[in-house]
Amino acid sequence: MTSIRNLSRRGFLNMSAAAGSSLLLPSGMLTSAFAADPLPAIAEEDAVIGFGHVGPITDEGWTWSHHQGLLAVKEAYPNLKNILEVENVPYSADATRTYRQFVSEGANMIFDTSSTGDFLHQVVKRAPEVAFMECNGHNPDLPNLGWYYLAHWYPTYVLGVAAGHLSKTGKLGYVASFPVASVYASTNAFLMGARTVNPDATVQTIVINSWFDPQAATQAGTALIDNGCDFLFGIMDEAGYLQVAESRGVWAAMWNTDIRRYGPNAYVSSIIVDFKDFYVDQVGKRLAGTWAPNQTLLPMGGGVDRDVWGQNVPEEVGKAADEVREKIIGGWSPFVGELKDKDGNVRVEADQKMTEMELYNWDWSVEGVSGLEG
Amino acid sequence: MELLTGLLTTAFLAGAVLALAALGEVLVERVGVVNLGVEGLMAMGAVTGIATVTAVPSPILGFIAALVVGAVFGMVFAFATVYVRANQVLCGLALTLMGSGIASTIGRSYSGMPAPVTFQPFKMPILSEIPIIGPAFFSQNILFYLIYLILPIFFSYLMFSTRHGLNMRAVGENPAAADAAGIPVNLMRFSYVTIGAALAAGAGAYLTLAFVPSWSDGVVAGRGWIAVALVIFAGYRPIMATLSGLLFGMITALGFIGQARGWPIAPAFLSMLPYLGTVAFIIVPVLAWQKMRRAMAAPASLAVPYYRDMR
Repeated sequence: MTSIRNLSRRGFLNMSAAAGSSLLLPSGMLTSAFAADPLPAIAEEDAVIGFGHVGPITDEGWTWSHHQGLLAVKEAYPNLKNILEVENVPYSADATRTYRQFVSEGANMIFDTSSTGDFLHQVVKRAPEVAFMECNGHNPDLPNLGWYYLAHWYPTYVLGVAAGHLSKTGKLGYVASFPVASVYASTNAFLMGARTVNPDATVQTIVINSWFDPQAATQAGTALIDNGCDFLFGIMDEAGYLQVAESRGVWAAMWNTDIRRYGPNAYVSSIIVDFKDFYVDQVGKRLAGTWAPNQTLLPMGGGVDRDVWGQNVPEEVGKAADEVREKIIGGWSPFVGELKDKDGNVRVEADQKMTEMELYNWDWSVEGVSGLEG
Repeated sequence: MELLTGLLTTAFLAGAVLALAALGEVLVERVGVVNLGVEGLMAMGAVTGIATVTAVPSPILGFIAALVVGAVFGMVFAFATVYVRANQVLCGLALTLMGSGIASTIGRSYSGMPAPVTFQPFKMPILSEIPIIGPAFFSQNILFYLIYLILPIFFSYLMFSTRHGLNMRAVGENPAAADAAGIPVNLMRFSYVTIGAALAAGAGAYLTLAFVPSWSDGVVAGRGWIAVALVIFAGYRPIMATLSGLLFGMITALGFIGQARGWPIAPAFLSMLPYLGTVAFIIVPVLAWQKMRRAMAAPASLAVPYYRDMR
């Protein structure tokens, strides 16, 4: 390669011509030229695996679940001594620095457990010998980057069915973080499940602009209950609104982990996430030299599921919801048209089934969900 | 009717954290010291509270322990800023980083479990039956009355109606003159910085023992900084600091209720409300009445270390 110092005028012209012509190629061709060879196998002793988390591993939620995955990797590959882990990676240029540090410490495989987007991709581009996996990522077409996430809308739909049975007022409250695809999918699936039981059910969301803010979640939960909601759901990394539900005597369903001890009477169930098998599988493939960038949505029953029903949930309610769960595991999809958005426009035609990617990138609210779109 | 009761209840609950922390900071700033370590002190108080009640199931003991820990940290800060005369802003930031860091390290073993005991609200007979304000004001826990009634009235009386309070304010306005009048400037500053820090830690303990009864890393979530801002808003007055904490809690609650009721306002705008409110409340009175500018002014020697030999 010509170095900058002895670059002649002719060399410069050649380089710019190459750059120019590559722009003319159809997208995708450029990357496939690089992606020819899978990354080589590594001995277990020499391998370095990195994990970057958005929060503290003690959060009893999202990051904790990923940390359990890391522990499972450790257990599956006892000779794998070098596992790097950084907590509280911010969504900023500091993330780039963190992942660059992983690379310079010789990481062979890096997991970004909470999508850091471009801050990660900058590092990915410069480290073609390292395998990257971004959780809830959106593939920017890089040869050494894949993404993974959970098909959480299915268990959420199941919880929605339970909520439809349990809620007396039909007003369901939702403590949301940001109006992002995960939250749209979650609120929509929740309401669609509930509407199979109670066609008049509605979901009222409160956006608190954080994944983790117990004070705001507590206030939001209180406001929802004051407004007549008797079933709270949300997508938080902590138990704030479950404690509110417990003291106010309404139902609550949670995310991430089993935290029923915070409110055993109010607890209905959780969207339980489990990345253990996935991480063990991915690290195994990388060690064996068979890893290729993949786009994985962990299905219900294989990484995401509903939790064991709470102690006060009537048996027949649990049974009714579980029947739906069995049906979905059997291959049935509840996300079939006709679906209308909140302005009454038909967004999914009758009998048309939404694809997994459409569900993953859901960016509008179905009729009956309020609070996310202005 | 129900809307108003709900609004007041959440406002009082959420406002108490800010009110107590802001009250502490008022004391600190009135003697001419800026303590930007409130966020860290609150984190320390929060984790101390939960650690104590895990060992001994008494919320009052947990609260007192938090006050003590806050006072100890406050003494370190006061020693550095008052006697060593280090830069107050830097020391405050250091205190925030240190406090949050230590709290999250200690907190590791306490995260993920609900507080075993908390301050329980008790209903006052008859009074709690009053519509609207009854449930909000007369069926709360004991800390609530300490924060909203006893402490602000006590400190306001102390500050504006006693000789000691006059001395205290003199230290913040003109320490050289105060020194000449025989007021022990450094001792005064040291004591009130310590008391203010203790109250900030107490606000943290209120968080984990009454408001969100569990510890998790980052539970304070920036409320310490808001408390510092509220002090300016309150014009460095104890009762105003308490009320501004309450007002801030009320505006936050209004944002949530607006979303819950489906008001046709963008959620992003509703969550902006507290901050817009603060800006408006600071600017409007000063523009409307020129006199307010002087009344709301900061103590003249705020953040200036006092050197006796450079008078």
